[in-house]
Amino acid sequence: MPEDTTQSNRKVQSEVVTEPAHGATAAADLHHAKHSGASEARAIATALAGWLIPGMGHALLKMWGRAVTVLLTVAFLVYLGAGMRGNLFSPGGDDAFARLGYAADIGTGSLYYLARALESTGPDVSHADGDYGTRFLATAGVLNLLAALHAYEAARRRKA
Amino acid sequence: MTIAMQPLQLSHFQSLLLFALIISLAFGTLGRRQPIERLKYAAWSFAMFVLIAIALGWLMYPFSR
Repeated sequence: MPEDTTQSNRKVQSEVVTEPAHGATAAADLHHAKHSGASEARAIATALAGWLIPGMGHALLKMWGRAVTVLLTVAFLVYLGAGMRGNLFSPGGDDAFARLGYAADIGTGSLYYLARALESTGPDVSHADGDYGTRFLATAGVLNLLAALHAYEAARRRKA
Repeated sequence: MTIAMQPLQLSHFQSLLLFALIISLAFGTLGRRQPIERLKYAAWSFAMFVLIAIALGWLMYPFSR
């Protein structure tokens, strides 16, 4: 089979010729993986900062308008929710609603403890105000989580 | 630590307006890049929040008593 032999030789030759290119690609891939690993870690740190202190994620990315807006909106929602004596859920709730409520409330990060301090008289959901307050507090948490996710995406340059 | 705070007394409609305003501002700022686009998106979002809430309120009205 002379044709097969010729084809086989060509294949070997092409592999030999392309070997340095594969090596360069592998080095570039390694460099890219290291770079993307560092970038991923920075993005996660940005998201965590944004969760702990609302707006901080965007502030680290020098997105000042978004940072100020996130801080003000989340803080104002927490202030209103606590002022309306909404229910601020504690960890270790008895049912799924309480656990879900806590997950939403803790989304405000450090402001969760500010809300606890503001609600000196405790929650009162016997009136509509208290019920609305509960929703305001939960919304503040979910909004802050959304902002932290946005900061994460922006840090990975997927979104600006 | 506790901070003394006067309880807020807001009507249903005031609560709705405040909620819609704050969330719309956040949506507009996070969702768009250009200031004009942000303003348009926030205004659209605010209008939708309020109009849909009023529409749902009227839809539920026959079952309220």
